[in-house]
Amino acid sequence: MTTHNKYIAAAVAALFLLIYLSLYSVRETEFALVTQFGRPVRTVADAGLHVKLPFQSILWFDKRLRIYNPRPSEFLTRDKKNLVIENYVAWRIEDPDRFVQSVGDTSAAEMRLHDIIWSGLSAALGTENLDSLVSASADKVRATSMLDLLTASADRAALSQYGIRVADVRIKRLNLPEQNKQSVFARMRAERERIAMQYRAEGEEQALTIRANADREKEEILSAAYKEAEKTRGQGDAEATRIYGQAYSKNPQFYKLLRTLESYKKVLDDKTTIILNSDSELLKVLTQGEAGAK
Amino acid sequence: MSTLVAPQFETAERSEIVLEFPSPRRRRLRLWAWLLGTWILSGIYIVSPEQQAVVTMFGAVTAPRVLPGIHYALPWPIDSVYKLKVHQLRRVAIGGDVADSVLGRLQPMSSEFLSGDQNLLDIRVVAQYSVSEPRDFLFQPENVDRVVSAVVGVELSRRIAHTTVDDILTTEKIAIQNDVLQAAQKAIESYRVGATISNISIESVTPPPEAADAFRSVASAKADAIRIVNQAEGYANDLLPRARGEGVQLIEQAQAYKEGKVNRAAGDAARFGEVVLEYAKAPKVTSTRAYLEALEQILPKLKKLIIDSNGNVDLTVIRRDDNSGPNQTGATRK
Repeated sequence: MTTHNKYIAAAVAALFLLIYLSLYSVRETEFALVTQFGRPVRTVADAGLHVKLPFQSILWFDKRLRIYNPRPSEFLTRDKKNLVIENYVAWRIEDPDRFVQSVGDTSAAEMRLHDIIWSGLSAALGTENLDSLVSASADKVRATSMLDLLTASADRAALSQYGIRVADVRIKRLNLPEQNKQSVFARMRAERERIAMQYRAEGEEQALTIRANADREKEEILSAAYKEAEKTRGQGDAEATRIYGQAYSKNPQFYKLLRTLESYKKVLDDKTTIILNSDSELLKVLTQGEAGAK
Repeated sequence: MSTLVAPQFETAERSEIVLEFPSPRRRRLRLWAWLLGTWILSGIYIVSPEQQAVVTMFGAVTAPRVLPGIHYALPWPIDSVYKLKVHQLRRVAIGGDVADSVLGRLQPMSSEFLSGDQNLLDIRVVAQYSVSEPRDFLFQPENVDRVVSAVVGVELSRRIAHTTVDDILTTEKIAIQNDVLQAAQKAIESYRVGATISNISIESVTPPPEAADAFRSVASAKADAIRIVNQAEGYANDLLPRARGEGVQLIEQAQAYKEGKVNRAAGDAARFGEVVLEYAKAPKVTSTRAYLEALEQILPKLKKLIIDSNGNVDLTVIRRDDNSGPNQTGATRK
């Protein structure tokens, strides 16, 4: 019995080993490359439990999307401007068989990608002017279509040579080379100074306009008031003249007498010395007595 | 379960228990049953309220989105459960790192971007994102932070590259944030990353230190211009009410003059009218009386020299003690 049991146990163990060697699971994030004595047999992309021959072995490859950030590098545009461009490449392994044969691991893959994209980018930028990348008017900027073309060609090259799918090549940051920066800063400062002066001058202009308007308005108000006032005065004078004329024309001679006497009261004061002839109307009585009163 | 409570009987009834176990074979069976039960029960898992979970069987996804609660999955090595805090906002900084007191990085860094009018600006942006599709989030990208950071960086850089520096620093800030958010979200979706960007905020945007003073002087020039204009408006506000007042004063004075003049004329006319009526009754006497009355008023104030009608007078007498002008002398002579 015991030897029989041992045989059964051994058989069960062998069966488990066989099952263990023939089954393998593939995760969502991976490709499995089934190799037989080192020679790739097939690629399994579906996640889940799979069967292989017990003597076949498996190589796993990460199929997730990766972001590769190459070091910023300097490029020359068609109008001979230097630009430092920081880009990224979104890529994933598409064909593990080719990938393992031509590249092997991800850091080597990134080096290959760097070469492909660097040359593609420098060729593409060489045909574009700076303002197709950097411009104040949005319609001039054509970077997106350029990068779409670059992505497509990089994808073709990488897929056929290295089994890599290039999902996207994009520019993350545009900058100027260090040696150009000083002149750019100088230009920025000059621009700012110009703008500052413009602000001050515009303020001055506005202030002067406001002051001049106020002065003019003041003059208008005062002159209109003067006009009105003089007219009113004239009306008063005319009215008074009419009243006087009407009244005094009743007896002009008597008016003249009264008015003359009235003006003597004003004209003659204590500084006046009057020389009176003793024959005068006033003094005749004084010198001649009653005869003078005739 | 019985094996779990077994230690309670240990001291008192050990012998009995030993006797109760019929054979080592059954004991082994119980052990196996217990192990099997534990193994099966190990598949129970709890998803807490802020989480969602993804379940895979031998690596393949069987339940892409398990909601909070208590659940069962087949135990290891068949099923695996990945729990994710889906509502948690994850932060990623673009153009410099987030300030981190643990690492002693108090001042956040920022990087230079080139604006549309070829100015350099130091910009730092923080993007916040959360999980929208746990399955994609877990299995599609190698590193979600890197994807979000790269995509937001691209959209930011492109938006900055066709905006002028003044707009970036002032009016366009909100528009840039919104545009970058939309464009980046679209790109993220095309990559199937399973994330939703909820917020893009420009944490800092400053001119580079080499040109900062010039930018500050623009700000002060703006303030100066506003001050000058305000002063001018103050001047106008002071001047015009005064002028209006003065104008009204002029008109009122003229009105007063007119009224006075007319009233006086009417008064004089009335007086004259009364007197002239009486005069008509006795003209000779009235005129003499008027003459004499007037002289009575005039003469007491005057210096008087009475001379003989035939004699000559030496006019120096007048000059000696009196300095009245020749005009008045002339006038009196008349």
